[in-house]
Amino acid sequence: MLELNHPPPAIEARGLTKRFGDFTAVDALDLRVDTGTVVSLLGPNGAGKTTTVRMLGTLTRPDAGWARVAGHDVVGEADQVRRAISLTGQFAALDKNLTARENIILMARLRGRSVHAARAVADELIERFQVSEFRDRLVKNLSGGERRRVDLAASLIHRPELLVLDEPTTGLDPRSRQVIWSTIRELVADGVTLLLTTQYLEEADALADRIVLIDRGREIAAGTPAQLKAQVGEQRVDVVAADGAAFEGLTAALSPRFAITALPEQRTVSIAAPDEVADLARVAAAVSDSHVQVDEIALRRPTLDDAFLALTGKPAESDPDHEPEEVAA
Amino acid sequence: MSVSATTVSDPSFGGPIRFARDTALLTARSLRAIPRVPERLLDVTIQPIVFILLFLYVFGSAIHIHGISYKDYLFPGIIGQSLAFGTIGAGVATSNDITEGVVDRFRSMPVNRLSIITAQVMGQFCEALLGMVIVVVFGLILGWTPHLTAVHAIELGGLMVLAMLAFTWAGVLFGMLVRSPDAMQGIGFIVVFPLSFMAGTFVQISGMAAVPRAIADWDPIAALVASVRGLTEGFPSSGSWQLDHPEIAMVLWCVAIIAICVPLALRRFNRTLAA
Repeated sequence: MLELNHPPPAIEARGLTKRFGDFTAVDALDLRVDTGTVVSLLGPNGAGKTTTVRMLGTLTRPDAGWARVAGHDVVGEADQVRRAISLTGQFAALDKNLTARENIILMARLRGRSVHAARAVADELIERFQVSEFRDRLVKNLSGGERRRVDLAASLIHRPELLVLDEPTTGLDPRSRQVIWSTIRELVADGVTLLLTTQYLEEADALADRIVLIDRGREIAAGTPAQLKAQVGEQRVDVVAADGAAFEGLTAALSPRFAITALPEQRTVSIAAPDEVADLARVAAAVSDSHVQVDEIALRRPTLDDAFLALTGKPAESDPDHEPEEVAA
Repeated sequence: MSVSATTVSDPSFGGPIRFARDTALLTARSLRAIPRVPERLLDVTIQPIVFILLFLYVFGSAIHIHGISYKDYLFPGIIGQSLAFGTIGAGVATSNDITEGVVDRFRSMPVNRLSIITAQVMGQFCEALLGMVIVVVFGLILGWTPHLTAVHAIELGGLMVLAMLAFTWAGVLFGMLVRSPDAMQGIGFIVVFPLSFMAGTFVQISGMAAVPRAIADWDPIAALVASVRGLTEGFPSSGSWQLDHPEIAMVLWCVAIIAICVPLALRRFNRTLAA
């Protein structure tokens, strides 16, 4: 290492591989997360996101390759890695029979704080993450969004050199998701280095500086959200006709004025919308003039499925062992 | 290609002070759950109480054992059985705990690995102890009169603590092997349940058919029941080496169980959970 004056990258991994029997969960993955940045590992269920996170978090040993987290080897210097990071698993990693506050105090005690210091840091985090309302309720009685907030608070007892969040909003309702996003944004503004896994392109786009798209344990694309979106394609306006006859009328009315993609099976006409809302307004005006009956006109963001289609030419495949998760549009 | 996963615990984890501190913190966590999830005590309290009532007042009149009242014969058996049931309770609690994400969080923190599992055992041990106290008190209320000398009381206490530790370690190991609380209940029902009946708990081993009698010769619960009965009632058991020398047999069993289960449990903890 020649760059002695620079801090080591928060994560540097080469050829990281994990097999379970014949199944290769993570296949020679390279990953780099620079200090102070937010990187999102984006992929469908079964893509190897959680296995990667578990290797980086010292919970699973790689079968091949290596990874250094905060400058320490995840196998040989696991203890130092554990001191440097905070890992929040996919399902809220809390004791459900303790209250929110007791959980945070316990984590602080396990990180070496005295009783007094643990209480002080817990109360500070409870304030900061707006947990006060339910601080003395047992975790098993909290909603998913509330648990996540406690989870995040418990992750920030020490100022971790790297925070790893594994699917922080999977299974949350849209309102709770917004709350978690704004909390994560505050942490990022504070300079926390973050590795975030998600199935939602929208989430990676909203939070990450850099996105690594993975499928079947391999990187299939990487870049800034803008670069990836340029590859995936822009937003589109989808117009859904009320019935078959209306679909014919809609195609006839719109095709002279826009470059349309007609999807007869869904009675949908899709139009590229590089100008986003302005395009939506133009299409809506044209539909209104044509007096064709439509069910829906919507501006649609590209989803993870679109990204996979654009980048691999095939739709994302979910692991059959997992329940397919609904992808938020 | 593969990195060997032979390390049982990371030795760099701050030594015995760190271990003791983390164990104390995590044991306190387990103990807090007892009043909040009182149903967890059911395995070690309600079941023995149901058996006491059933055998004392329903079947008891049909069972005659020469030289001892059935009540005095029954209670030592119940004590042995409920101690054995503690294995199921510990297994269910362990597999529950491990399937929750919280253990993973501990493992990703600078927490002594060994302490996570020791604390699990300590917590389960305390639950088993509490269950035992409830069962004994219930027995005394119903009129069981143990005839204990001071020496026997100490001997019995030591033996019970040792047995509870051994059975709890076994339960924690099983809980980690099966990885589902329901499967643990199933194993408990298929293995622990019959073994606890063949152990001379409710009827004398000498009256059983050849096959269960042969099993009882190697059933650690039989040695436990015989020890408790010998110490509290002075009522001897006989028919096999371990029934003739129940206390020695019991100590040997406990040492063997601990010697086998502790390293296996630690190994399992570091390996399967890491998958």
